[in-house]
Amino acid sequence: MCMIAALRRFALLLAGLVLLTVPVAAHDLPRDVTVQAFVKPEGQTLNVLIRVPLKAIMDVEFPRREQDFVDLTRVDQSLRDAATIWLSGNIDIYEGDTLLPPPRIVSTRMSLESDQSFRAYDTALAHLAGTPLPADTALFWEQGILDVHFEYPIQSDRSYFSVHAAWDRLALTVITALQFLPPGGVVRAYELEGDAGLVRLDPRWHQAAARFVVMGFYHILEGTDHLLFLLCLIIPFRRVRPLILIVTAFTVAHSITLIAAAYHYAPAALWFQPLIETLIATSVFYMALENIVIAQPARRWLITFVFGLIHGFGFSFILEHTLQFSGSHLLSSLLAFNVGVELGQLLVLAILVPFLNILFRYVVAERIGTILLSAIVAHTAWHWMTERFEVLQQFPVPEITAAGLASGLRWLLLLVAIAAAAWLLFVLSQRWTKPASRESSPAE
Amino acid sequence: MRNLSKLTRSRLFIGAGFTALLGALAIGQAVLDKSAAAQAQAQGTVMAPRFEIDPLWPKPLPNHWVLGSAIGVWVDADDHIWIIHRSSATLANNEKPLEMGTGECCAGAPPVLEFDQAGNLLRRWGGPGQGYEWPDSNHGIFIDHKGNVWIGGNGPNDSHVLKFTKDGKFLMQSGKKGARRRAGAAAGGNEGDVAGFVGGSNDEVSFGRIAKIFVDAQANEAYLSDGYLNKRVAVIDADTGKLKRYWGAYGNKPDDTPLAAYVPGAPPAQQFRNPVHCSDLSVDRLLYVCDRVGNRLQVFTPEGKFVKEAFYDTNTRNAGSVWDIAFSKDPQQRYMYIADGVNEKVKVVDRQTMEVLTQFGDGGRQPGQFYGVHSIATDRAGNVYTTETYEGKRVQRFVNRGMARVARSQGVVWPTAR
Repeated sequence: MCMIAALRRFALLLAGLVLLTVPVAAHDLPRDVTVQAFVKPEGQTLNVLIRVPLKAIMDVEFPRREQDFVDLTRVDQSLRDAATIWLSGNIDIYEGDTLLPPPRIVSTRMSLESDQSFRAYDTALAHLAGTPLPADTALFWEQGILDVHFEYPIQSDRSYFSVHAAWDRLALTVITALQFLPPGGVVRAYELEGDAGLVRLDPRWHQAAARFVVMGFYHILEGTDHLLFLLCLIIPFRRVRPLILIVTAFTVAHSITLIAAAYHYAPAALWFQPLIETLIATSVFYMALENIVIAQPARRWLITFVFGLIHGFGFSFILEHTLQFSGSHLLSSLLAFNVGVELGQLLVLAILVPFLNILFRYVVAERIGTILLSAIVAHTAWHWMTERFEVLQQFPVPEITAAGLASGLRWLLLLVAIAAAAWLLFVLSQRWTKPASRESSPAE
Repeated sequence: MRNLSKLTRSRLFIGAGFTALLGALAIGQAVLDKSAAAQAQAQGTVMAPRFEIDPLWPKPLPNHWVLGSAIGVWVDADDHIWIIHRSSATLANNEKPLEMGTGECCAGAPPVLEFDQAGNLLRRWGGPGQGYEWPDSNHGIFIDHKGNVWIGGNGPNDSHVLKFTKDGKFLMQSGKKGARRRAGAAAGGNEGDVAGFVGGSNDEVSFGRIAKIFVDAQANEAYLSDGYLNKRVAVIDADTGKLKRYWGAYGNKPDDTPLAAYVPGAPPAQQFRNPVHCSDLSVDRLLYVCDRVGNRLQVFTPEGKFVKEAFYDTNTRNAGSVWDIAFSKDPQQRYMYIADGVNEKVKVVDRQTMEVLTQFGDGGRQPGQFYGVHSIATDRAGNVYTTETYEGKRVQRFVNRGMARVARSQGVVWPTAR
């Protein structure tokens, strides 16, 4: 078996090399191609409309007339062949976990590249049911567009559907702009590159959430700046109780800004990301410095909360492009991302705390060790800070305008409101937990 | 009050403090909102699409290629940017030692170039070939609804238009080269030179130095800006190339009698001046025609009925202020952009009122500046592309940053972020 596999691989390699050296006759693999697709379950039918430029279709002969114009009177079979070989042959659609059988071709059309009907499902459907191009249209064959309407039999339009479109061989770069239109009028847009694997079109909340838990988990583990921040936080606090308070403060804070950013409350300006990156580096630097200067910093949870707000914006940048995969579960996906971040943090703590304990017990005295470790972190953070500040400096200082100030005041208003609410809660909780007699005792 | 404990009193103070602070902030914000609106009004700013130069587009050309005078730009259905330029014909010897065999750099690039959105050069072709007459001085490029590439020409002998596939395969020629030559006249001549040539604005077969082409998908007709020698808009069948109709300024029958030089303030000419430099059809089927030296834009129905006209920078003489137009990419095409290669600006115009809202650009060789900004086009994202003729010799991209309050005259739209 192994020998055969090796031989096959060699043969493939050889074939590839030959292909590379022989000039391709008429039709090269295009550099980039966009495939447009609509997927709409209706009753017991899944309608799939696909548009692809003909330049991406290889090995299918299109009948031609003079000057290599397409002979539109004889083109239908070629369009159906292309639709079967290149489109439906390379897409797997699942209803739940069941692979749907090959589809029926309802109609195919040859279109002009200027045709705008694929802007929306209804116009695309009407186009595919409408009159074909006039037979005398002078259309150079490679400049045409193939439109297809497929029908898949399904059990119910309420099922969960997933798609695996392996159209990556159509061009060097293939972008699939796919719209899913489940019952109820929502339109969910996906932009997939190459072979994006199995994509759940309407993820259940736990599927969406699972994806984000994993994403959050790996993000914190890959984010060196977040990890160093965490390290600085805990060097002086290695017991469970203060740790819980600090980690909770960090989590609550970054959840607030992450969710705010996902709902577009963060400034959209270009300088915002470099500003946040610089502030994150500053937070690490500050924390390290505090460890060096103060042995047991008081109220660390408070400063952690403030810096947590900044780190939350940092997390939001990586989520920007992946939120499309959350389907309609934006909030639960965000919370799931936070859970993932939390799990990652706990894992890091589970490793770091015993490590620090052993280090301070057997290798170096606690205070000296704290200072040394913090100094190393501070050094790294200082470099990050200056590098990121350099990037930030390339942006002009935003002009102070009344409009800018007004939006600043809106934020301040929100912060004061949160502070007031927190204070009120604090007062009320004290009332409840303390014996009523002390508060109400009359001054006699 | 005396009955209250110290703790309760301090809490009351804090609570009152919070309430007062919240109230003050709310009032402050409302006041600032109001003054923000007033500030914008007072500064004479206007809401318009805002652009920024993209200094990194396109990427450097391969093979030590350089551009000659760049006199046409269009964006196709794939959002690829096509330009046409005059290559070696407009390069001085010291610009093309590679071509002359006297050094390593540089050589003229092929005249037709396709770029993707990332600025990579894709297809490149053009030049004389079998079955057609390549123009003496190519001018204008258009990609039609079938993906075909149209090219005009304003050289002395150019009186025709060509159609190719995107790969450069010849499809059609309409008009015969050399049709405008006076009987017995000597060969030669420069751009705009009429010695030895005579306008033929009522010729049913050939044209007179076509500046630009626009193909109407709906009617499968090509509008030819005809041109540097003729004084008309000519409409041909896009498949057969057969002339269908034509007209001059105000829809008049075109007349090639030479006009007196343009004088600011004088009554507008009843014929187009040379060159008729653009003729673009909007989504509401109005044809906008650039009377470049007449400093005006005339609007027609597709049948050639005059609708209205607007004048721009009427003190501009010599080469004029209305070189080329492009429509904004919103469904209504609310705005149009006018390239002005004398005053070196792009004007952002409200298409309904035809009034200039704002303008950007300035003369110079830095990114975002112009030297003979000649042609203009927009892509799907609403970005603007310009090409420059004379010694400008380049294509530039201006990124659409969305609607914003901008100054009436913005100068060079330098990027706010690198």
